[in-house]
Amino acid sequence: MDMIEVNNLVKRYKGAEAPSVDDVSFSVEEGEFFAFLGPNGAGKTTTISILTTTLSKTSGEVRIAGHDVEKEGRQVRENIGIIFQKPSLDPQLTAEQNIRFHACLYGMCGYRPTFKMMPTAYRKKVLDLAEIVGIQDALFKPIKKLSGGMQRKLEIIRSLIHAPDVLFLDEPTQGLDAVSRRSLWEYINDTRNHYGTTIFLTTHYIDEAENVDKVCIINHGKIAACSSPAEMKRGFLRQELILDAKDRTALTSELYSLGLPFTVNGRVVVPYQESAQKIISRLQTKLTVLRIHEPSLEDAYVEFLSKTGKDAA
Amino acid sequence: MSELVLTRKKSRIFREVNTTVTVLAREITIFFKSPGTAIMSLAMPLMMMGMIGGNLMQNMAGGLGFEFGQFMLVGMLVNMLFMVTTMGMTSLVDDHESDFNQEMLVSPVSRYSLVIGKILGAGFAAIISMAGTLIVGLVMGITLPISKLLLILALSPLMCLSGGALAMVIIGLIKSKRTANLAVMLITMPQMFLSGAIIPINNTSGVLLVLNRFMPMTYCLDLMRAVLYAGSPDYDSVVMFNPTVNFIAIAVLTVVCLMIGTFFFAQSEKNR
Repeated sequence: MDMIEVNNLVKRYKGAEAPSVDDVSFSVEEGEFFAFLGPNGAGKTTTISILTTTLSKTSGEVRIAGHDVEKEGRQVRENIGIIFQKPSLDPQLTAEQNIRFHACLYGMCGYRPTFKMMPTAYRKKVLDLAEIVGIQDALFKPIKKLSGGMQRKLEIIRSLIHAPDVLFLDEPTQGLDAVSRRSLWEYINDTRNHYGTTIFLTTHYIDEAENVDKVCIINHGKIAACSSPAEMKRGFLRQELILDAKDRTALTSELYSLGLPFTVNGRVVVPYQESAQKIISRLQTKLTVLRIHEPSLEDAYVEFLSKTGKDAA
Repeated sequence: MSELVLTRKKSRIFREVNTTVTVLAREITIFFKSPGTAIMSLAMPLMMMGMIGGNLMQNMAGGLGFEFGQFMLVGMLVNMLFMVTTMGMTSLVDDHESDFNQEMLVSPVSRYSLVIGKILGAGFAAIISMAGTLIVGLVMGITLPISKLLLILALSPLMCLSGGALAMVIIGLIKSKRTANLAVMLITMPQMFLSGAIIPINNTSGVLLVLNRFMPMTYCLDLMRAVLYAGSPDYDSVVMFNPTVNFIAIAVLTVVCLMIGTFFFAQSEKNR
């Protein structure tokens, strides 16, 4: 079953010459981890805003969990959680008060004026989540006194407290340090494995999308490519053997005689399609350097944008 | 067992009421965390009732055919409810600037529940101001019987809802704090002068008559005065309409303003 269905979606902002999202179509299956990548201003946040009912579309059809975002906005909102690109916490409340506000709006419990008076299940879940993301000491501090990273972690707790079927993450790790990023992703992956949550991710950290099920690249408002990360890497980049020898001339002559393509760029680089083992076993020259370069999704992404003549910045 | 598992409540009514209570509680929490707002709520009555009211009493009280002090106290009480509620509604602009409106609007609840919670929250500060007005009135020698005071207090949330709904029509569309502050003046000043808060409007005619008939505060004031002057010989000189007419007019104007204001607010956040 498709959890997210987008057909011919168009969004043109008031007064804008060109649409920000231009005839975009894609789908995300239930439980799938989906990454929506693209340079700044490509239309990622506009798309996510329409999908989460916070922005109206110009035309096209969008369904979340089988519900139309325009006609059945409330049912869509019942099924989703979102971490916005910009923090959307109330700076005047404490961290826990922000979570309580959210939990009550999503009908998880009746409002009570203090944390101690809240139901046991709520208190347990908040404390468990706070421990997982490492903000238990900051739970009762005002938002103003929390660092950017702490605030982001708090937003993550907040977005998961109502166990949504679809979780939209709009650049969720922006401003987080490496350790926080890692612990956050561990938690999101655990949640996904445990509850089968469908995840829709936009990010500028392409390595975060390395393990997703499907990647779509949007550029200038249009879908430029859509496939699995492995297919995308295969489509744009080759695997490479990086070699060197004391007698580099002998090595290059041998590669030439074997009919293997290569380039010399600091080291001897031999692209290959099938087996690195087969190439190495045929070489007689004594090697001093032997490395296999597996292209990353980021390599493929940058290559794709440069080949299509568009800047990634 | 249900206490140990966090599950979503099914009842729609529970969720909507819970939303309004949650938003109201947030506003009250913020009120107590903002000493400036609390001080303002208590300073306003001093200025409005003490200075403007005191001056009017000393210079305009004669020849009206009824006791002006009590007439003005009710006017100031309702005016304070409207003015402070309207000022409180500008926090919508703060929520827009901190992107907190998005957090509220992406939740699966009625926009009306959110807006009503917001209005009642703004009304909380207004009721504090009303208490301040009563204290200033007491210092000026204007007192009200306890039974009437309780009735006025019971009616005050309705007045706040009415004032807040009217404010929503304009403030719901505004996205900058400076414009919002101007809007507060635009909403509150005409009502203060045209609806009979401090100046009797029994003989008003022409355009001013048309204007005051469209102002919710006209009916709120008249209803409050009907309550206060019930059984008094001054009733006919002070009260203009039957309380039922007032109540219906307040209800209709409040519902209409609430619907328009909530629609504008939700659409202005969504239609960009």
